[in-house]
Amino acid sequence: MTLSRGAAFAIVVLRVVIGWHFLYEGLAKLQTPAWSAAGYLQQARGPFAFFFRSLAADANLLPWVNQVTMWGLVAVGLGLVLGCFTRFASLGGIVLILMFYLCNPPFVGYFYAIPTEGSYLVVNKNLVELAALVVVFLTRSGHVAGLDRIIHGLVRGRGRLVQA
Amino acid sequence: MAVDDTKPEAEAAGSGRKLGRRDVLLGLSTVPALGLFGYAWQKQRSYEQRQRQAAEAVRPAAPADLEPIDVALVGAGAQGQVLLDAMLRIPGLRFRAVCDIWTDFNLRRAVNTLKKYKFEVTGYEDYRQLLDQEKELDAVVIATPDFWHAPHTVACLEAGKHVYCEKEMSNTLEGASRMVAAARATGKLLQIGHQRRSNPRYLHCHDKLLGEAKLLGRIVTVNGQWNRAVAPDLGAPDRYQIPEARLKQFGFRSMHEFRNWRWYKGKGGGPIVDLGSHQIDVYNWFLGAFPSHVMASGGLDYHDPKTHEWYDTAMVVYEYETAQGPARAYYQTQTTNGSQGYFENFMGDQGTLLISESEANYPGRLYRDPNAPAWDEWIQKGYVTAPKIVEKEAEEDPSVLDVRESVSPDEHRVPVVLRDPYHQPHLENFFDAIRGKARLNCPAEVGYESAVTVLKVNEAIEAKQRLSFRPEDFKA
Repeated sequence: MTLSRGAAFAIVVLRVVIGWHFLYEGLAKLQTPAWSAAGYLQQARGPFAFFFRSLAADANLLPWVNQVTMWGLVAVGLGLVLGCFTRFASLGGIVLILMFYLCNPPFVGYFYAIPTEGSYLVVNKNLVELAALVVVFLTRSGHVAGLDRIIHGLVRGRGRLVQA
Repeated sequence: MAVDDTKPEAEAAGSGRKLGRRDVLLGLSTVPALGLFGYAWQKQRSYEQRQRQAAEAVRPAAPADLEPIDVALVGAGAQGQVLLDAMLRIPGLRFRAVCDIWTDFNLRRAVNTLKKYKFEVTGYEDYRQLLDQEKELDAVVIATPDFWHAPHTVACLEAGKHVYCEKEMSNTLEGASRMVAAARATGKLLQIGHQRRSNPRYLHCHDKLLGEAKLLGRIVTVNGQWNRAVAPDLGAPDRYQIPEARLKQFGFRSMHEFRNWRWYKGKGGGPIVDLGSHQIDVYNWFLGAFPSHVMASGGLDYHDPKTHEWYDTAMVVYEYETAQGPARAYYQTQTTNGSQGYFENFMGDQGTLLISESEANYPGRLYRDPNAPAWDEWIQKGYVTAPKIVEKEAEEDPSVLDVRESVSPDEHRVPVVLRDPYHQPHLENFFDAIRGKARLNCPAEVGYESAVTVLKVNEAIEAKQRLSFRPEDFKA
């Protein structure tokens, strides 16, 4: 992929701030005693509402959903900030945000009890962050600046050594 | 300038070198962002901690000469947790033990919480073992299902402990009277958890507004309710199921019954007892009388009879003979719609008191009837706030006030706010009584009177007729 140096580094900045946001969302939830996604899941609207509500209703699944959400956010956040397994992290982030978006989509005529700041029509900040992560995913941002650059170099380097 | 900046130098150069200096620098270039994050997070955490400490500092620290009271909690479910949270804010308590048959969940959670607060606590599955081992205990707080209250309370009293037992005192009057007898025989304190009896707002209304100022005049009617929205049954993850043998040993037929015991006959008393008992207790308290008759309509109108036995809907009318004359009190509880929540509304010939335990909804409003004597004296004394001027609603409202309609009365507020958890003052009253500094606000006898009043509703629904109370029914 060929990008201008400025564009490449701008995407690195984009990746780091998204990672920061994920990391704090995860840690803040982990710090909240008995945090649960139940409230958010229960107010699900739209075509997948049934699926999300069934997650909240299942006493066996809900603890897993909570853990995956909290630790998923932390892991994706760390990956994005450090540029470590960036493609994997951004894909994980895309999946998580897609879930958040589809659970409470800001479609016309839906009103939620757990409030979101700002005014949204179909597009909300979840969707913007998701789109930004797609850019991060596609541009190998970790190879510009991030641990991926070192990891990649080490793997390649070892390959060379073996060849030699 | 278009560059491919994504390939490591080594690769770009096509050499066998592992990594260039530039690769390492760029590779680590975002690590400082994580450092910055850590710094910001630490700042945020210490800010939150300071906020918490400031909130806690409002509570006086335990005086040095405060003799610690050794406490155990029996029953660490949802209600036990509420009581525990409130007790953790009371200085001078030393938690020694927790007991719950759901060892993998309730017990573990409560023990972990207490360990976090640096208490050396032991967890027990069986209360008898707790009483055998913990000889040093002064007091036991009981928040088990209603049908266990009598056995637990009597055993603790006989072991020489003071007891705070959640309401309803018992699911049977026989159990409740055994509790009263045990308290009398042992001379130990028994407080029943009708916590409104210690709520400063309710005390202010009872002692000052109704007792001293008599703001309502003669109370002729009362109404109140607890409406609760439909809620799914409580469940439990498979990995936390209690073994069947243990469930049976402690009187439960299934995990569902254990989790939802309030709905089962022989275990709890249904919504009229769970919810109504708090408020009907206030009816007796504020009217200063016991009812002479009760009629009630109720049934299992909505919920699945396979998993629910008690009435999900109950509408009750009590008849009282108060010192001022007859009064009628309506109460309803239903579990299909939560509109307007819960409140008690006392209506006298001079004013109305609308009150609830909630700080958010109906936290104490008084309405003076236009013909009643002025309340200026009580406003000056700070018993009630100055009236709120009710502005005329929207000019465009086309409705016309019929001359026969009453003018809406002035609204005053009860200027007492409880900033602590709702159960805290009642628990404090219990521990103060142990130290000899207070009298119990809801001793066993009062809990018994309340149980007599409330349990009769289920009887009246079943009988489909107006039932009467004899004055001696209220004496244990």
